[in-house]
Amino acid sequence: MSVTTTFLAALFVGIVTYAMRGGLILALADAELPTWLVRALRYVAPAVLGALTVTLVADPDAVNRGVTLPELVGLLVAGPVAWKTKNLAVTLAVGMSAFWLALAVS
Amino acid sequence: MHSPSTGPDLAHARRQAIKESAPLLIPAVPFGFVLGVAISESPLNNGVGVFTSLAIFAGAAQLAFISLVGTASIWAAIAAALVINARHVMYSAALSPIFKPQPRWFRWVAPYVLVDQVFALAMQHADDEPAYFRRFYLVTGSMFFSLWITVTILGLFFGSFIPESIQIGFAPAIMFTGLVIFGVTNRPGVIAAAVGASVCFATLGLPNRVGLLIGAGCGVAAGYVAELVLDRRST
Repeated sequence: MSVTTTFLAALFVGIVTYAMRGGLILALADAELPTWLVRALRYVAPAVLGALTVTLVADPDAVNRGVTLPELVGLLVAGPVAWKTKNLAVTLAVGMSAFWLALAVS
Repeated sequence: MHSPSTGPDLAHARRQAIKESAPLLIPAVPFGFVLGVAISESPLNNGVGVFTSLAIFAGAAQLAFISLVGTASIWAAIAAALVINARHVMYSAALSPIFKPQPRWFRWVAPYVLVDQVFALAMQHADDEPAYFRRFYLVTGSMFFSLWITVTILGLFFGSFIPESIQIGFAPAIMFTGLVIFGVTNRPGVIAAAVGASVCFATLGLPNRVGLLIGAGCGVAAGYVAELVLDRRST
């Protein structure tokens, strides 16, 4: 594939991605949305981020997708730490340490 | 902090943006390195590879695009990247009420840096004063953007030096677990996250990560229905 073809393809993906990110902000910011929709939109963040976390853990592109035991240990430790501390840096440090410990043991 | 005579404290917004973004910026580094290595190993021209960070600015979609460009048709690469990025339509919808008091120029600039982390942090500031929110968003977005370009280029040259044994690629999963937990403030929120995650897990076998969209859609619906049911029960 030529450099020009791949460059134009990347540019095209970029433009459509911008449209997906900005389209509804630009179209709806001045609109009066129905109450039920505004209420439903509040659940976009937990629903998408919950699903996104699963794809990050289970890696759908890998040959053997799924959750390994060390990964499960890391998540089970990180969850309560995040809940208790409300601090991402602490969550990352403790969660990764538990993950590495479980990796070393298993 | 927010005295009405002087308006919102923008220096505070900037500090807060740095403080809240810092732990999220750390795991973006290994991801950018993974991307840089993928670029250097793919038949894609290195300049075009770095250009994907500038134009697309979405790690998972870029990774799919770069790995498919070498093996599949250009249309397969384009389609995969766009399906993976389709979740941003939901981000755009969720943010639109927050942008009601924002000026036109900001509505045009903000979407360019609307990555997952920026969305998650911005939603936690949905109720802030418009000028405070704007400063917070712009500082956060520009930090993620400049870091992403930098680590893509660094990864291209030095990515192969990170030992695979420490499996740093797991760090983003931990970060997003934390973000989900911070983001749920009520029981319908917990249900939305749990349903979104479970449905996504059940549909992992589907191509191009469409399970992510199916899971997200089911999660939003479940959260909304749960809110209606809980409301009815309490009245």
